[in-house]
Amino acid sequence: MTGDTNEIALDIQDLRKHFGAIRAVDGCSFKVPRGKISGLIGPNGSGKTTTFNLLTGVIPPDSGDVFYNGQNLTGLKPYQIFRLGISRTFQIVRIYREMTVFENLLSVSSLSMPEREARARAEELMEFVTLSKLRGEYGGNLSYGQQKLLEFARALMTDPDVILLDEPAAGVNRTLLNTLLDQIHRLQESGKTIIIVEHDMNVIMNHCEKIFVMDYGVKIAEGPPDEIKKNEQVLEAYFGRR
Amino acid sequence: MEKAEIRSRYLLGGLLVVAFAMPFAVGIMSEDIRYDRAWALDLTRVILNGGLQGGVYAMYAVGLTLIFGVMRIINVAHGEIVMVGAFLTYTFFTYLGWDPLLSMVVTLPIVFCLGIVIQKLLLNAVVGGPELTPLLITFGLGLSTIHIVEAIFTTDFRTIPYAQGAIAITERLALPRPRVISFLMAIAISVGVFLFLKLHRLGKAIRATAQNRDVAMVCGINIYRVYVVTYGLGAALAAAGGCLVSIQFGFNPETGVFYTLQAFAIIILGGRGHYIGALIGGFMLALLEGLVSFLVPRGTELVEVASYGLMVFVLLVRPQGLLGLKEG
Amino acid sequence: MTGREHLRNLGALAAFALALALLPGMLTLYLRTFVMFTVLYVVLALSWNMISGYTGYVSFGHVAFYGIGSYACGILVADYRWHWIPSLFVGGLVALLVALAVGYPVLRLKGPYFAIAMLGTAESIRVIVTVWERLTHGGYGINFPNIENSFETYYAMLVLMVVTILVSYWVGHSRFGIRLNAIREDEVAAEALGVNTTLYKLAAFGLSAIFPAAGGGIQAYKVLRIEPPSEFFIQITIAMALFTMFGGKGTVIGPVIGAVILYTVQELTWVNFPTAHLIAYGIFIILVARFMPRGLMGFAIDMGWARKGMVH
Repeated sequence: MTGDTNEIALDIQDLRKHFGAIRAVDGCSFKVPRGKISGLIGPNGSGKTTTFNLLTGVIPPDSGDVFYNGQNLTGLKPYQIFRLGISRTFQIVRIYREMTVFENLLSVSSLSMPEREARARAEELMEFVTLSKLRGEYGGNLSYGQQKLLEFARALMTDPDVILLDEPAAGVNRTLLNTLLDQIHRLQESGKTIIIVEHDMNVIMNHCEKIFVMDYGVKIAEGPPDEIKKNEQVLEAYFGRR
Repeated sequence: MEKAEIRSRYLLGGLLVVAFAMPFAVGIMSEDIRYDRAWALDLTRVILNGGLQGGVYAMYAVGLTLIFGVMRIINVAHGEIVMVGAFLTYTFFTYLGWDPLLSMVVTLPIVFCLGIVIQKLLLNAVVGGPELTPLLITFGLGLSTIHIVEAIFTTDFRTIPYAQGAIAITERLALPRPRVISFLMAIAISVGVFLFLKLHRLGKAIRATAQNRDVAMVCGINIYRVYVVTYGLGAALAAAGGCLVSIQFGFNPETGVFYTLQAFAIIILGGRGHYIGALIGGFMLALLEGLVSFLVPRGTELVEVASYGLMVFVLLVRPQGLLGLKEG
Repeated sequence: MTGREHLRNLGALAAFALALALLPGMLTLYLRTFVMFTVLYVVLALSWNMISGYTGYVSFGHVAFYGIGSYACGILVADYRWHWIPSLFVGGLVALLVALAVGYPVLRLKGPYFAIAMLGTAESIRVIVTVWERLTHGGYGINFPNIENSFETYYAMLVLMVVTILVSYWVGHSRFGIRLNAIREDEVAAEALGVNTTLYKLAAFGLSAIFPAAGGGIQAYKVLRIEPPSEFFIQITIAMALFTMFGGKGTVIGPVIGAVILYTVQELTWVNFPTAHLIAYGIFIILVARFMPRGLMGFAIDMGWARKGMVH
């Protein structure tokens, strides 16, 4: 069924999700390679964020399966999927506004992390994203860029295996973006699997090893950046028929 | 259509069937039912009365559904506004000799303006925030109102002797005249408000804001003005309900509390913000209460459990009620 | 928070409890009862805070648990001749079970719907208690054999308060409490980041039901008479919410100072202005809700007198 689980982190098979008449995801299948940075792109409304939501259990699929390390994730609740090692950030930042930076990090829950270890890890991560000085500040009082960093750090609290980043570049200035990308590469080098949904083509083309393109709820192409750039279907999806 | 949506509709339908069958089941089991003509006649009377009553319930419930639908505010003071409507009618009737129905022409605008003031001063600032705040504010309003009225009128029950007697339908079936009149007035007012919501620009703005506040804003609707009018309208409808209730039953400053909870049961059943839903819910609840009262031993006391129980179960099975839209 | 800060806080609690423990002999019966009730309301506010202050799920029917405890004591002591202290535990247990049974479906509801459902639940329980005469004496109420017990009940309430404060303190300074806050802030995000929200909500809700039940039981034994309207009085729920909001939701000290201040004020006003009292109370509720939703502790944090956040 899943074959080489060592090479494939996530095996997505024929996912479908309809919202009434809207077919947000309509038979989407692809295999995410382990230990690499993959990109998921597509025009607006192609179903990328819905796919993320389906993968992480935030919404249940109508049909289809997702396999992770041989285990079927469909039907699991979000917190269970998270505890298996799949973490994510959100398209619009969803940090806890009336809790401090430190608390935002400590709130993450996995069964096996005693408090002392969690605190140490939180300190580490605050350093990593250079927010240590703001540890006692409410999340809502941070700048947008800082909130994005916080959300990024929060997603890393349990040292997840797979990290889904939903539009990490949105609303972020160039310097911060480079910092983020730097950190993303470091994570990938340490063996993590990363999937990025993005609209910023520079980010995708320059940083992803493999790209999946969606349109109308299905995958229409996959491959390395060079191939995707020249792919007829992809160009058509974005720019329409010539 | 989503499976969950279909399933919840069937569940709600099933729940309602059970709810209406239960009084009969309990009645049969407790052997209170005499299977004869007189009983059937009684039952018919109960059903008809329930229907008539439903009209009035529906009317003050639609006020609440507008407020809850547009602003997500739980107007705990709603019953008190009904009570104020009743007392205003009583005052005009007793001290000025005004016809209760005609005095609505004065009572409703007064309450409408009061509603506007309340919304503007107190509630506008807290719409969209945590629900505890308006909950406490309206509770405080209700509490103060009860005791202000009590200070003026004492806790004595008041009644308005008006249009007494009954209207005979068949030779053995008669309906109390005040109830029939209330029902007709309630229908007239409900139709009027319905047309307003459907056709008038402001009415449409109210409906738009209830469905999706952000989109309404983007379309240029001044939602704060909508909020203010909505509360005023909801309050006026509650007062109208109070007026119609005043000619049927006795009332005192504390009777409002019961009306508030009933109104909530109705709007939950009918669907948040849905006008027709509130009307239907009003009829259904009145009918159910009538049946429980009549068929179940000690039914008159259990009527409250019927309303609250139904409400809680609807919330669990299908929170958006019969006709409401799903939140979110 | 360092270990030293914890010790300091616990020391303060011990001092406070000790002071209260020394009082009763020096007070008149009236004042003893008054202090006992103040302590009761501290317990109620802290309990309400455990669910509603942290998770944001407004339990608008919390008096149900108080009434359950009250009636557990009433029935067991008056009809079955139990000693009153074990009846408190039974009350707490029943309240816990009811909370879990009701909470499991009802905590799925969002915002105002949860509040309404809780209100409906509390009212339903009240009516059931009124109608189930065989068990509860219905509208006639239950009378206890008349004995002087103001000292025993005072101390019992004090012990209950200390326990409630300790539990609240733990909730308020642990990751459990942080996660409850996270549920309030953004339940979807919390769940996506590993928090089993259903379990946490149920745990908080269950915990929040036990102490009001015990308090209700002690109070019933002291007052020597209970009946449905007084034990399921909606104003008790309002008081829980108001005192907590006034002091500061989601903190540990907030409900305590809110309850102490407002219950005292309420008692003074009631004694001196019996007619206007409730009108003023209503207006006061409006003003607090409208203008100080974050309460005294919120103000303290804004002023810099208290730190932001619960865990440091």
